[in-house]
Amino acid sequence: MKENHYSALRTKILAGMMVVPIIPFILIVLIGYYYFTSSLQSGTIAKLTRVVNDHREMIESFLDERISDLRFVAETYHFSELAQQEVLSGVFVNLQLKSSAFTDLGVFDEKGVHLAYHGPFDLAGKIYKETAWFQAVLREGVYISDVFLGYRQVPHSIMAVVKQEGEKRWVLRATIDASLFSRIVEKVRIGKSGEAYILNKEGHFQTVRRSGGELMEPDPDLKPLLQVHDGVRTFVERSSGGEEYLYATTWLKSRNWLLVVRVEKAEVFEALKNVTYLVVLTALIGGLLIVTVAFQVTKRIIGRLETVDTEKKELGQQLVVAGRLAEIGEMSAGFAHEINNPLQIMKSELTLIDTLLSDLRERGELKDSADLADIIDSLKQIKSQVDRCGGITQGLLKFARKKESQAKALNLNTFLPEVTRLIESKASVEGIEIKYDLSDGMPEVQADPAHLEQVIVNLLNNAIYAIVDQHGSYGGQIELGAKTSSDDEVVIWVKDNGSGISPENLQKIFTPFFSTKPVGQGTGLGLSICYGIIEEMGGFMEVESRKGVGTTFYIHLPKA
Amino acid sequence: MANFRLMLVDDEERFLTTTQKLLAKKGLDVVTAASGMEALEKLNSQSIHVVILDVKMPGMDGVTTLKEIKRLFPLVEVIMLTGHATVESAVDGLKSGAFDYVMKPADIDDLVAKAQEAHEKRERLEEKIRMAQARSYVKSPRDILKQSEEG
Repeated sequence: MKENHYSALRTKILAGMMVVPIIPFILIVLIGYYYFTSSLQSGTIAKLTRVVNDHREMIESFLDERISDLRFVAETYHFSELAQQEVLSGVFVNLQLKSSAFTDLGVFDEKGVHLAYHGPFDLAGKIYKETAWFQAVLREGVYISDVFLGYRQVPHSIMAVVKQEGEKRWVLRATIDASLFSRIVEKVRIGKSGEAYILNKEGHFQTVRRSGGELMEPDPDLKPLLQVHDGVRTFVERSSGGEEYLYATTWLKSRNWLLVVRVEKAEVFEALKNVTYLVVLTALIGGLLIVTVAFQVTKRIIGRLETVDTEKKELGQQLVVAGRLAEIGEMSAGFAHEINNPLQIMKSELTLIDTLLSDLRERGELKDSADLADIIDSLKQIKSQVDRCGGITQGLLKFARKKESQAKALNLNTFLPEVTRLIESKASVEGIEIKYDLSDGMPEVQADPAHLEQVIVNLLNNAIYAIVDQHGSYGGQIELGAKTSSDDEVVIWVKDNGSGISPENLQKIFTPFFSTKPVGQGTGLGLSICYGIIEEMGGFMEVESRKGVGTTFYIHLPKA
Repeated sequence: MANFRLMLVDDEERFLTTTQKLLAKKGLDVVTAASGMEALEKLNSQSIHVVILDVKMPGMDGVTTLKEIKRLFPLVEVIMLTGHATVESAVDGLKSGAFDYVMKPADIDDLVAKAQEAHEKRERLEEKIRMAQARSYVKSPRDILKQSEEG
C-alpha cells in the first residue's frame, strides 16, 4: 500500500519532470527543422531561377546577335551582289571576324535554289524548296534550326533570314557552331549535381547533359518538362533514375527551346543531413540530461518524503508508546494501592496467627505434631507469597511513581566501567567480552547515580540473558558506549549480539508485566522501571533490535 | 514496653482490629479510629502520644488529618502509612511535620519500632520543655503562676 503510494507518486513526478521540458524541446526541434528545410529549398530554388534567367538571356542575346548579323548583311547587300561567290566570300570573312560561330554562308532565291555558298562543302546549285527549314523561313521570316552534328561531328545549328527586295524575296542562311552557346549552358555548375541543358520542343537534347544525355537524344525525363509556360517554372520531380531533382525551366523567347537547370534534391539537403545529425545528437543528449535530472530529482524527493514519513511514523509510534506507558503508570499506581491494602491486612492476620500459635504452644495447649508442622509451613508459604505480591506492587510503584531523584553531574567515562564491575564476573563466566566506546572530553550528564546504576545493571543483565540464549557461553559481546548526540543531550548505549527481539515484542518492551522469560523467572517490570527512572531524570529510552542479530538500548540523558 | 498510648487510623476495619490485637499482645496501649474525624475526636478526649495514619482514606485524607493534628496537638507524633504510589504524599506528610513513613504492606515489628522511636522523640521533647519551664521557674516563680492560670 505504502510502496504503491510511493511508486505512483514517483511516476507522476517523473512524468511531469520529463514531459514538461520534452514537449517544448520537441516543438523547437520540429519548428527549426521545418523552417530550415523550407528556407534551404526556397534558397536553392531562387538560385536556380536566377541561373536559368541569366543563361536564357545569354543564349538569347547570342542568338539575337547572330540573327542581327545576318540581317545586317541582308540589309547591306543586294541580292545580286551576294549571289556572286566572291562577294559572299568577302562577307563571310567579315562575319567570321565578328563572330567565330559562323561556319558557312549561303544565298537562296525564292525557289530555294542555292545560288552562292561559302563554306567547307560544295552545296551551290542545290534546290531546297521542299525542305522544312526553307518553308519555315519563308513563313516566319527568321529561322533557327535545332542542333545537329555536322560532318565534322561538331554541334551545329542553321539560321536563316528572309529579305524582301521589291517583288522578290531571297534567303540568307548561315551555319553556326552551336558549341559556342552549348558551352555557356554546359559550364553551369551548382554544387556537384547541379547542371543546365537545353531541350527542343520534342524533348531532344540541344546541349550535352553532364549527367548523361547526348545531343539530339530524347531526354528520358522529358515528360513533366515540356509543359508550355511563361517565365520560370520551378518544381520537384523524380527522374527516371529514381532521384528527386529540383527543377527550374524557362522557354527561350519565341524559340522552341527549353532551358532546364536542375539539381539533385538530396544534394540540396545534404547540409540538412548534417544539421539533422546535430539536432538528433543534441536531442539525445538533451533528452538524456532531462531524464537523468528527472530521475535524480525524483529520487531525492521520494527519498526525502520517505525519510519524513518514516520519521513521522516513528515519532507517532514513540508517542503512542509513551502515552500508553503513562496511562499504564497511572493505572499501576492505583492498582498497587488497592492490592497493598489487602496485603497489609493479610500480613497483619498472619502475624496475629503466628503470635497466637506461639502463645498456645507456650501454654501447652498445642501439641507438636506433623500436622502442626505442616500448618506452620503453609503459613510460612502464605507469608512468603504475600511478600512476593508486595515485591510486585513495589516494582509497579517504582515504574509509576514520581520519585525524588537526586540528580547530579556524572562523569560517564568513570561511571560506566564502575557499574560494569558489578556484573563483570557474571559476564566472564558466560564467556562474554565487554567493550567500551567512550571518548575523552565527553560532557557530564545530569542523573541520579544510584538510579542510573540500577538501569544499566538491568540492561546488562538482560544483555547477558539474551547472549546466553543465542550463543551459550562462547562468543558473546557487549558494547557499552556513550557520546554526545545533540547540543544538550548525551546518549548511552548497551549493545549485545544476543538473540534479539521480534518486532511485535519490541513495541511492548517497556510495558509493565511484559516478559518473554518463562513464568516465575521475571516479573516483567525491569524495563518498565528503567523507563520510568530515565523519564524521571528528564531523558528517554529507545531500543533497536533484530531477531537473531542483537539488541541495542539507548538512554538519552540531559547534559549536566 | 514503654508506657505510651498509640492510635491507629485506617479505613480498613479488619486491619484496625487485627493490628490492635497484635500491638496489645506486644504490650502497647492502642486506640483505633476509622476516619480522620474520629481520630481528631479521640485525640481531643484522650491522651494519645503517637498516631499511625493511613495516607489514603475516604473523607478527610491522611495529609489533611495530619495537618489538623499538628495544628491542634503539636506534641503528638505521627507516622504515615502509605500503600500508594504517592511517595509525594508521604513527602508532603514529612514536610507537614510527620515523624516518618512506612510502606504498606508493613511488618508489625517495623510499625512498633517506628512507634517507639516516635515516642522517644516525644519524650525528649517533653523533657526539653520541662527543663525550659524549670529554668523559667527559677528565674521568675510568678511566670509559673501565670502559666498555670493560662493552662
